[in-house]
Amino acid sequence: MNAITAVFYRDYRQRITNAGFLLWYLLVPLAYLLLFGLGFALLLGGELTVAVQHIGYTAFLLPGILAMVTFTVALNTSWGFFMDKDSGIFYELLTFPITRQQLLIGKIGFNVLVSVIGSLLAIAVAVFAMGVEIRFDLLPVTALAVVGTTAGWFFLFGIFAIRLNRMDSFNTLTSAAYILLMFLSTMFYPLDGLPAWFRAASLLNPMTWQVDLLRFSLLGTGDPSVLVMEAVAFTIFSAICLALAVHALNRVA
Amino acid sequence: MNAIEIDDLHKIYRSKTGTVHALGGVSFQVPQGMIYGLLGPNGAGKSTLVRILSTITSPTSGRATVLGCDVVRQPLATRRQLVVVLQHTASENLLTVRDNLLIYAYLHGVGPSAARQRMNSVVEEFELGALLRTTVQELSDGTKRRIQVAKIFMLDSPLMILDEATTGMDPLMKRRVLDRLRAEARKGRTILLTTQVLSEAEELCESIMILNKGRAMASGTLQELRALSTQMFRVSLTFADSAAGLVDRLQTLSPSDLQVNGRSVEMVFQGEEASLLGKLADISRDVPIVQFEVRGPTLEEIFLSLVEKAK
Repeated sequence: MNAITAVFYRDYRQRITNAGFLLWYLLVPLAYLLLFGLGFALLLGGELTVAVQHIGYTAFLLPGILAMVTFTVALNTSWGFFMDKDSGIFYELLTFPITRQQLLIGKIGFNVLVSVIGSLLAIAVAVFAMGVEIRFDLLPVTALAVVGTTAGWFFLFGIFAIRLNRMDSFNTLTSAAYILLMFLSTMFYPLDGLPAWFRAASLLNPMTWQVDLLRFSLLGTGDPSVLVMEAVAFTIFSAICLALAVHALNRVA
Repeated sequence: MNAIEIDDLHKIYRSKTGTVHALGGVSFQVPQGMIYGLLGPNGAGKSTLVRILSTITSPTSGRATVLGCDVVRQPLATRRQLVVVLQHTASENLLTVRDNLLIYAYLHGVGPSAARQRMNSVVEEFELGALLRTTVQELSDGTKRRIQVAKIFMLDSPLMILDEATTGMDPLMKRRVLDRLRAEARKGRTILLTTQVLSEAEELCESIMILNKGRAMASGTLQELRALSTQMFRVSLTFADSAAGLVDRLQTLSPSDLQVNGRSVEMVFQGEEASLLGKLADISRDVPIVQFEVRGPTLEEIFLSLVEKAK
């Protein structure tokens, strides 16, 4: 069996042992969408202007919800390294005839599917229950963005999950990263009117690049020249994280 | 081509608490089809050597090859040549025994039908049939170890590395594994075994290296190691009766080990055999000896003697 398929199958078998966990993955973004979407839409009472387009808050939030799905799935997949370390299988895996890249790509493979399903669910709820209008013609781009960004976040968190020996250190670090990346981005609000330092930091945040790309593919908003740069930047960010995660796997003591 | 070639291998671990020289210039070769034993106390460097050979970690300097593949420059090609049982238990705790066996084979490139076919024979040999659908986390440590060892027989890799693999196994299963390893070596597979159970190495290994503090103290066949321990021998005696003061008289001979069980005595000596025999003859005038046997040292005695000398 092909190495990536074998790792994919392994993760699939592990994940389906805990259906509740899978369900949690899928329901949390929906809860965010319903609670934040309805709550803030009522609070703000009107429309937001994004790149000269007027859109409702629920529509504005939807790409952020998809980013949240990819982020959560990536985080939990990288957390699996700790389970592998606990069971001792982590070190045994490193002796198998598969490259470190194949191990990482195979590991995120099944979870990318979860990400895509979670995203489709969120889109379906937004469209059919909350009246959000999306660009159906760009759905393949959305799917591609979800797949690519889930992998990118997983490679980032994988570095820390491989290198850190303590699960509590990992949880502290990722919780801090979660808050910083989410709130220092365009996930919940547009950057217009925010302080200059905040906007500068947001523009350097991969979460902003991801949300902007998803917002374009779902709603058709954004400046094409900026979006291309953001897509390239996220790809480079993912490639660097993959290289560092491979390096970390090669340096396991 | 040798199955394993190790040349002046060094491994230094650096941490906040200091520097540890886990391996300090180890060299050896293992011909194909041989069962080779690595012995040593805790911290000797055996597991580090296993981790380098199985490409989990890199050496600080020196060279190691597995069937011609350099472990640093050709890690993937190296890993294709071997299967490993690591010292610590390694099992997919959330999966069933069946999934553990099948996924192990899949991850080594075996197709589903071939894997299922091989699984059937492994399940029978390791008596896992009743447990196939049980999740591994529900099993005892000994059974987890049995599954870990059973997994390597799902494959036909030319090199098998076992790092204290029989630890925690029941004696019957241990015997079965040792017999199976011997059979695999007869088929031409090379086996590198690390163990602290010296009787196991004595029984199984054709060649042995004794490591201590990251350095090779001795290596060779059991006979060659015995030759290193000249003037060391084991004496078994049976006296006609257990006379009072006999133990005290035996103690004056300064044995390195003395075991008395009624009229039977087991002693290990280091020194001139002729001189000892003379002294025993003196004792036998007072307490007759009805049975007498002198043998070479066991591997354990050689090992202890070498480690003691190194201290």
